[in-house]
Amino acid sequence: MSKKVRKVRPVGTLGIYIGSGMMAAMLLAGLLIPLFGKYDANEISADQIMPPSRDHLFGTDMLGRDIFARVFDAVFIDIGTAFAGVLIPLAVGTIIGTLLGISRNRKFNSFIGSLIDGINAFPFLIFVIALVAFLGAGLGSIILALSLVNWARYARIARTRAVVVNQQGYVEAARTLGYKPTRILFRHIIPNVSSETRAYALSDFIIVIIAVAALSFLGLGVNPPQAEWGAMIKDGANIITLAWWSAVFPGLAICWAGISVAVFSEGLSARIGEGNQR
Amino acid sequence: MASSTIDPGAPADEISAEQRVPDKNRIALRRTLLGRFIRSLVVAFWVMFIAFSLLRFSPGDPIRLALGTDATEEAVAEMKQRYGLDQSFFVQFYDYFTGFFSGDLGTSFFSQREVTEVIAMHLPVTLMIILLSMGAAILISIPIALSVALSRRASITYFFRTSTSISLAIPGFFLALLGLLLFGTVVTWVPAAGYEGNFPSNLKYLWLPALVNCFSLVPILSRVLHSSLMDTLDEEFVETGVIRGVGKLKFYWSYMLRPSLAPTVVLVSYMVGIMIGGTVVMEMIFSLPGIGRELIEAVSTRDYAIVQGIVMIFGFIVVFTSFIGDLLGYLLDRRVTLS
Repeated sequence: MSKKVRKVRPVGTLGIYIGSGMMAAMLLAGLLIPLFGKYDANEISADQIMPPSRDHLFGTDMLGRDIFARVFDAVFIDIGTAFAGVLIPLAVGTIIGTLLGISRNRKFNSFIGSLIDGINAFPFLIFVIALVAFLGAGLGSIILALSLVNWARYARIARTRAVVVNQQGYVEAARTLGYKPTRILFRHIIPNVSSETRAYALSDFIIVIIAVAALSFLGLGVNPPQAEWGAMIKDGANIITLAWWSAVFPGLAICWAGISVAVFSEGLSARIGEGNQR
Repeated sequence: MASSTIDPGAPADEISAEQRVPDKNRIALRRTLLGRFIRSLVVAFWVMFIAFSLLRFSPGDPIRLALGTDATEEAVAEMKQRYGLDQSFFVQFYDYFTGFFSGDLGTSFFSQREVTEVIAMHLPVTLMIILLSMGAAILISIPIALSVALSRRASITYFFRTSTSISLAIPGFFLALLGLLLFGTVVTWVPAAGYEGNFPSNLKYLWLPALVNCFSLVPILSRVLHSSLMDTLDEEFVETGVIRGVGKLKFYWSYMLRPSLAPTVVLVSYMVGIMIGGTVVMEMIFSLPGIGRELIEAVSTRDYAIVQGIVMIFGFIVVFTSFIGDLLGYLLDRRVTLS
């Protein structure tokens, strides 16, 4: 019987493709448009507050700058800040949480544990705003503030997971084989703990993209001439009744970035979920 | 299957409280709740300590900032003494800690207003927005989750999951601006500016911020409610309810919603933190006199005493509500284990 075997596409593949495609398109546009675009992001190229036209696809802002150029000039500023603001706490939180999970000192463990709970008790955005206030506005302090706040969330996840991983057979086996503790930690425990924290990092990435823009929207982000989505929305909000385009296009850029991550992570979790259950 | 002692066909509220919690369990319950309470107190202490340390470890001298660059050394020293900043860290913290219990959180370096006064004046507006948005979120989420769960079609569930995760990626402040554009200029349902403090008349100003704010909660809430409804649907008593022919309303409430509510209630209490963050942004956009706008103003003028007090109060609110949420979750479903 020569029945053709139908290729079964795993669940969620479409989501993974669409999500990564959307993100890749945005990053590519963020790379190419500032290089080869018609206008410079900070160049006053037309009259103020011009509606979208063929020459200025997204219109111009209140200073007469091309919004199309500015939206794509901000891609790497926004995505890059959010990326650093996720990666640093992911690494720090995973390592600290894992060490707590495998340590046997109960007093120390519950002491740091309650500190982690204390940090997590603050509303995320409020704590970041307060830290940025003390560190001074700017992208560097936004990344630092995000790291100082978010490591505790990763640490909590990692700690719970590390307690489980630490009792698994393969860790016991590695111990019996007499491997060095550092090797067991980095080769056997952390990779298995971080599968969980990395999954959280993906959904955290969306929250952080929005938070970075929100901080700039509140005036705590970039310094003025630099194009940044939140700051552009803030400028546009003042003239929104006159010129809807000045706030709507940067807003759509944030949505595009967030949705690409959301679709990607939805596809990924559908695929992982399928693997686990069936 | 082993025969169970409790009739699986009876929904939870047909069993008397005595039957549900035998004495031994009741003692264990009391012990877990007491432990949870003590842990909340420890966390609250950390919240205060962290909020307090923010100011002390910040780069730059807050007093010099408040007095300006041309302040004399004597003036700075005098002001430091007045605010107790010349003392050691732990003495200062002890003063702050004891001051808290007598309702004193210090005074602003700039305006000389008392921090507790600022909080008491502006907190009600913020709490009102949070309560409105949570109420709206619950009212919107329940029918969505219920209808998706009852449809039991894979395509609808898939659409539901995708659309909820996509809507989480839309920033609230962008949505708020679109709302203002739509309801402020196209149709004028929202007053352009101003605010009125009394309860029924202030709804005119609060309904749009609350509605926008609840959109960050609805996707999460309806997803958790949906998955816990799916768990409930697999229970035997639901089948029994169908066979018994229980009335529609009673079926929805006692057989489906009530047994599924516990995880949702716990989640709602945990989401208060996210609601607070969203509310701050809403207050800025709609220029409402809430505590969030006060926080942003204090941040931009570097009025550290106010920032510290507001951040701490928000932390306390989260600690308190998550304790209450755990408590309610336990009362709604005795199978919930407190972590």
